[in-house]
Amino acid sequence: MLWPALTDPVHDSQRLFRQILQAMSEPGTLHELCAPCPPRDASIGPALWGALLTLCDLDTQLWIDPALDSPELRDALHFHTGCRLTQDATLADFALVTPDTLAREIDFAIGNDSYPDRGTTLLVAVEYLSDDGPWQFSGPGIETQRCLGVGNAHALMSRLSVNRSRFPCGLDAILACGTRLAAIPRSTRIVNRQQEDRACMSQ
Amino acid sequence: MNGYNFAYLDEQTKRMIRRALLKAVAIPGYQVPFGGREMPMPYGWGTGGMQLTASILGGDDVLKVIDQGADDTTNAVSIRAFFERVAGVETTTATAAADVIQTRHRIPETPLEHDQILVFQVPIPEPLRFIEPSEQETRLMHALEEYGVMHVKLYEDIARYGHIATTYAYPVKVDGRYVMDPSPIPKFDNPKLDMSAALMLFGAGREKRLYAIPPYTRVESLDFEDHPFEIQQWDEHCALCGSDHSFLDEVITDDAGNRLFICSDTDYCLTRRGEVA
Repeated sequence: MLWPALTDPVHDSQRLFRQILQAMSEPGTLHELCAPCPPRDASIGPALWGALLTLCDLDTQLWIDPALDSPELRDALHFHTGCRLTQDATLADFALVTPDTLAREIDFAIGNDSYPDRGTTLLVAVEYLSDDGPWQFSGPGIETQRCLGVGNAHALMSRLSVNRSRFPCGLDAILACGTRLAAIPRSTRIVNRQQEDRACMSQ
Repeated sequence: MNGYNFAYLDEQTKRMIRRALLKAVAIPGYQVPFGGREMPMPYGWGTGGMQLTASILGGDDVLKVIDQGADDTTNAVSIRAFFERVAGVETTTATAAADVIQTRHRIPETPLEHDQILVFQVPIPEPLRFIEPSEQETRLMHALEEYGVMHVKLYEDIARYGHIATTYAYPVKVDGRYVMDPSPIPKFDNPKLDMSAALMLFGAGREKRLYAIPPYTRVESLDFEDHPFEIQQWDEHCALCGSDHSFLDEVITDDAGNRLFICSDTDYCLTRRGEVA
């Protein structure tokens, strides 16, 4: 049984954290993570596995979507991080999800007005991630505008788009595809350029 | 160094602070509670800033530490020596050469670059604390965006002195939502917070709060239409480098009332003198 982890836990997790911090403080920027391969039967990439190893420990509760769940992933997470798995999404600090997970009405924690930080951070396994796409971002961390392509992820993006209407409560998302990672915090204003164009044409 | 983990803090503490930092960045200006640890120096000496620095610092980072702009004052020298010892990182006094800058009460004069991180030491993170002593109440005020009382405080200044007399720790509004204490930096430095290219992190050790301003974020200093925000100005130039645009410290030179003004940012002043010479 092979459970790959960080070769140098102290310095590797620091390096990965700094990349995740930069991704979160500059929404939509792409970062190549040099992270170990995930457990063999897990359907997540190295970037997401690296994020899990960097952020999870005994103090965190993780919710895993059944589509990404696997015995070996559970064993490896348990062995390397000691994080607790939860069935209750409202208690989750982190949630390992696919874009389709957000199509179902699952109540992740969004925090409350007094403690907005108590919201779930989504760790999303996406099939495509590029800096050219229909989703246009603005807000903190973005000088003017920035674009991101996330493939077929409408459910995810529409859920993140409503973040602004509930701010400061909301969901923060870390998106990863293979070794590539980007983040969309709740502070980001999201517009779909294609829908905008269509709306303009119909007028 | 033997006997300590890299950068002093244990890995689980670092992860806890790192998770809090991600939330702080996602909610700009909101104070995230964190499990502050005891550091090997008293509260008020920058324990909050140090815990943040320890959590983000890597082996190949170059660290700069300033205290009121100076690299050579007690607080700056001690914290720099601390991280040299427990993390073995390279340190510098040159603003442009640093990856991480920990600061007490100043923002360097040299504009910060993208990819640099500025870590502030914060004594009292709650801007409303002197108006409302209850934490429960101030938390509710932030939740309800109830900031009128802050404007009343500034207005009282105008009523009493004819101008806003707050000169440091001047309250700001981050991305149009949270009112935030920028730590006791002079209001001269407030404009540098707005749309800064660098990420700014704030750590309060005693109060166990941390908060952040991501790069390129709108930060407005609170003011009134008829009393717009203004920064300090001096009639004098720096006695050492001749600068007419930096923040100046007044130095008393004898007991006959003689004084001179010098740059508070020592690296900036030295660099200018080097260029002139």
